[in-house]
Amino acid sequence: MYSQQMTWNPPTGWTPIATEPEKVSLVFYFGPREMLACGKRYRELREMFPAAHILGCSTGGQINNSDVTDEEIVAAAISFHSTRLRLICRDINDPAHSRRCGEEIGRALNDDQLAGIFVLSDGLNVNGSELVNGLVDAIGPDIPLTGGLAGDGANFKETLVGGDCAPRSRMVVGVGFYGSAIKIGHGSAGGWDLFGPRRQVTKSRGNVLFELDGEPALDLYERYLGPEDSKGLPGSALLFPIEVHDPDQPDSSVVRTVLAVDSKARSMTFAGDVPQGWTAQLMRGNFDRLAEGAADAARQARTGLNAREEDHQFSILVSCIGRRLLMGQRSSDETEAAGAELGSDTLRVGFYSYGEISPHAKSGICELHNQTMTVTTFAEVEA
Amino acid sequence: MHRLFAKQVAKATGPTGAVEIDQLAALVGSAYDEFDRDRRRTDRSMSLMIEEIDAKNRNLQQLVAERTCELQARERDLHAQNVRFDIAINNMTQGLLLYDSSARLIVCNERYIAMYGLSCEVVKPGLSLRDLLLHRKELGSFRGDVDEYCASVMRSVAMGKTTDILTETPDGRSILIVNKPVDGGGWVATHEDITERRRTEEKIRHLAHYDALTDLPNRAMFHERLLEELARIAPGDQLAVLYIDVDEFKNVNDTLGHLVGDELLKAVGSSLRRCAKPCEFVARLGGDEFAIVKAAVKTQADVAHLVARVLMAIRVPFDCLGHRVTTDASIGVALAPQHGVDLEQILKNADLAMYAAKSAGRRTWRFFEPEMDARVKSRRILEIDLRQAIADGALEIHYQPCVSLCDNNITGCEALVRWRHPERGMISPAEFIPIAEETGLINELGEWVLTRACAEAMTWPEDIKLAVNVSPVQFRSGSLALKVIAALAASRLPASRLELEITEAVLIRDDDTALAILHQLRTIGVRIALDDFGTGYSSLSYLQRFPFDKIKIDRCFINDIAEPEGSSCIVKAVVNIATARHMVTIAEGVETSQQHELLRSLGCEEMQGYLFSPAIPAAEIRRLLHSDRCRAVA
Repeated sequence: MYSQQMTWNPPTGWTPIATEPEKVSLVFYFGPREMLACGKRYRELREMFPAAHILGCSTGGQINNSDVTDEEIVAAAISFHSTRLRLICRDINDPAHSRRCGEEIGRALNDDQLAGIFVLSDGLNVNGSELVNGLVDAIGPDIPLTGGLAGDGANFKETLVGGDCAPRSRMVVGVGFYGSAIKIGHGSAGGWDLFGPRRQVTKSRGNVLFELDGEPALDLYERYLGPEDSKGLPGSALLFPIEVHDPDQPDSSVVRTVLAVDSKARSMTFAGDVPQGWTAQLMRGNFDRLAEGAADAARQARTGLNAREEDHQFSILVSCIGRRLLMGQRSSDETEAAGAELGSDTLRVGFYSYGEISPHAKSGICELHNQTMTVTTFAEVEA
Repeated sequence: MHRLFAKQVAKATGPTGAVEIDQLAALVGSAYDEFDRDRRRTDRSMSLMIEEIDAKNRNLQQLVAERTCELQARERDLHAQNVRFDIAINNMTQGLLLYDSSARLIVCNERYIAMYGLSCEVVKPGLSLRDLLLHRKELGSFRGDVDEYCASVMRSVAMGKTTDILTETPDGRSILIVNKPVDGGGWVATHEDITERRRTEEKIRHLAHYDALTDLPNRAMFHERLLEELARIAPGDQLAVLYIDVDEFKNVNDTLGHLVGDELLKAVGSSLRRCAKPCEFVARLGGDEFAIVKAAVKTQADVAHLVARVLMAIRVPFDCLGHRVTTDASIGVALAPQHGVDLEQILKNADLAMYAAKSAGRRTWRFFEPEMDARVKSRRILEIDLRQAIADGALEIHYQPCVSLCDNNITGCEALVRWRHPERGMISPAEFIPIAEETGLINELGEWVLTRACAEAMTWPEDIKLAVNVSPVQFRSGSLALKVIAALAASRLPASRLELEITEAVLIRDDDTALAILHQLRTIGVRIALDDFGTGYSSLSYLQRFPFDKIKIDRCFINDIAEPEGSSCIVKAVVNIATARHMVTIAEGVETSQQHELLRSLGCEEMQGYLFSPAIPAAEIRRLLHSDRCRAVA
């Protein structure tokens, strides 16, 4: 396996020029929505890598090794020696179809050689939890499933995803890795601090939260954000993610982040389910601990990758937009921390997302995460 | 250099290596802004969180305070409930114990401790059933085998069975113990002292079967016993049932009072009980009626011996509250199976035999005879016919003249009722008057006679008096005076022409009431005659107590008046007494001239009898009176 990294920006176009582009079988690319929306970048890549499956999405910022940028597209071109790939695209018109969409992609990609799946999904028109549940229903709990939901900076207007086509809204793409040579390591961690009292989800429907402890959820958020940050809703709500868990299973907690708010209904829509009756607790971030969380995720991915030190490794980092919004210029603290764990030789590309997909660090069951850094590391072991 | 600043410098460094100060300043400024915002956010969230937690704390404190109050109130309620519970169980009349599943005491009330005189120090929660019983055994209130008792109770409880055990304590009390299993494996035991209840029940049982006055078996028990005896008559044997009626008991009651009457019944009862052999069952059936059942009767002589013993026992004079009372009995005997095997039949037959003995003049006894039944039936038929005859006005009144012994003139007539039966012909008043008296028909009959006779008397010469007999039964109805007034008013007969004849029996029964009625009649102007004088008690005190207008000397004195040792001196004495009290004397049953002459010589004023005229129908008496008047005038 060999991977090479490229960037695109208006003045310079794609740099550097890829070596042996005809051998490239898989290309990931992540960029701001406005740079991808025209489809021209995809067509350039298709021209460059005619044999490759090409998938990418809009983001809330790109990760290029340890740097975090907003002004360029970052791409990675990978040549596999023996690993087979399959790419499936599905348009999704209604978030209620998320589970079915996940099942279809899972079934299309599933075979006995399947070693792992990486998924990119629309970030605003999909119920991420249901999408993941549908995929797991189709492929079972043992196949590593990672990926993320596309982003739109702090705008939350439109996200784009493309798989062997120009990126567009309301699309989900999954790429399957087949064979015994491919090794996939993954890790996921948040590093957020719980604070404030535990609250009860007293009214919710699916991923729409209405009330906590009998009080409209949006009232609580606006009170905590203050007048200045409240103007930035729903993006600013990412500063206070919530951790939710079934009161009967306090160890299976997940972090949820906000996708949208309804100021009339005083409700908030999250990237995953917030079941009624569950316990919820607000979280807040501390730069150092968030960076430590990213390092933890990278550590999990490295240790979980069943490969030798000398094998060429490539990592995709998917971090949450909420972390980026909070950390600002200090965002690179977490990419650096992850990089330190993965090793400077490992090529790292990635993006800030509206949701991260990865197996749960404790339960091992693949879930949609929010406010985490997830790291997926690939290596191909020669037979 | 700070890592962030180094990055900012790197970012602001152009391709030439020169640092763009404006760009660097913008980056640095933006970083400061970010820090400020984060700090403000942190401050805000921290203070909000503190406020929230503070509010939650306050809520919690309030909740804790409320819950504490609730708990304290609940504790108070619980305490009050416990006190009430204690009061309730300690004021139960029963001893109460509650055991857990391992047979250890949970609750024991004070009544239980007191019932068996136990120690509170020993009997307390935690004590095992076995140790409790050992303690009771030590103190003497438990006599059984402790281990056996425990095992038996535990067995029943394990089977979920409620058990009742009746025990007698060494000091003679009856204790009912009920062990009732409860949920959770234990049981509740109640100990109830039912000594008094059993005594009462025994008493009630006794009262139901024994006569309260004499303590002899009562009618119900007599019937039970008779049924049993009837069912086990051995072949060849007879069962004798004696009905015993104390003669003239009513007189004793009336004359000496109920207390003495009761004493007499008690004495008779005791005497009968004493005279009876073990195989002879004595009972009091009620009133003055006693009965004896004798089993294994072989011959009629066996019965005769028993009757002799009974009569002897009853004829012994009894001392009743200071009164020496002599009495006798009428006894009826029925035999089973000879006279019937059915309870009802044998009782009826004994009763009939007893009435036969009574009819035979009391103080005797009779075996049942089938004719007795027939007699009763015919008497019943006669009663029905009499009732009909009265309703139809089919009776007749005959009149017997009373004649002055001075001048042989008719002074008055006695009205006498006659019944001409369509099938049996003339029926004697001696036969139907007692029936009329027994059935109460005498009131109706008497009224009819009085009314008709008064009307008839109005057809007679004005100086002829009318005598009408009045039964003691009519006195008891209380309306005799009114009826007399009504009859006089209806006929317009002057009261002075009416003479009512009464017997001593009127005065014997209820002196004061009878006297009051007699005085009422006297006030109206009616004359009162004392009939049958000399046949009954003939107490001279009656003459003292009521000034009769006339004394009627009974025919039995007249019959032998002419005999050498006859009743002439008695008649003379009566005439003397009457004369002294200004009463007229009249002799009845005068049949011979000799009697007529004797009576006149003895000073008797009037007579009636066949010598002059028997009782004759109304038309004939009318003719007789008018011809007598013509003769007198002539």
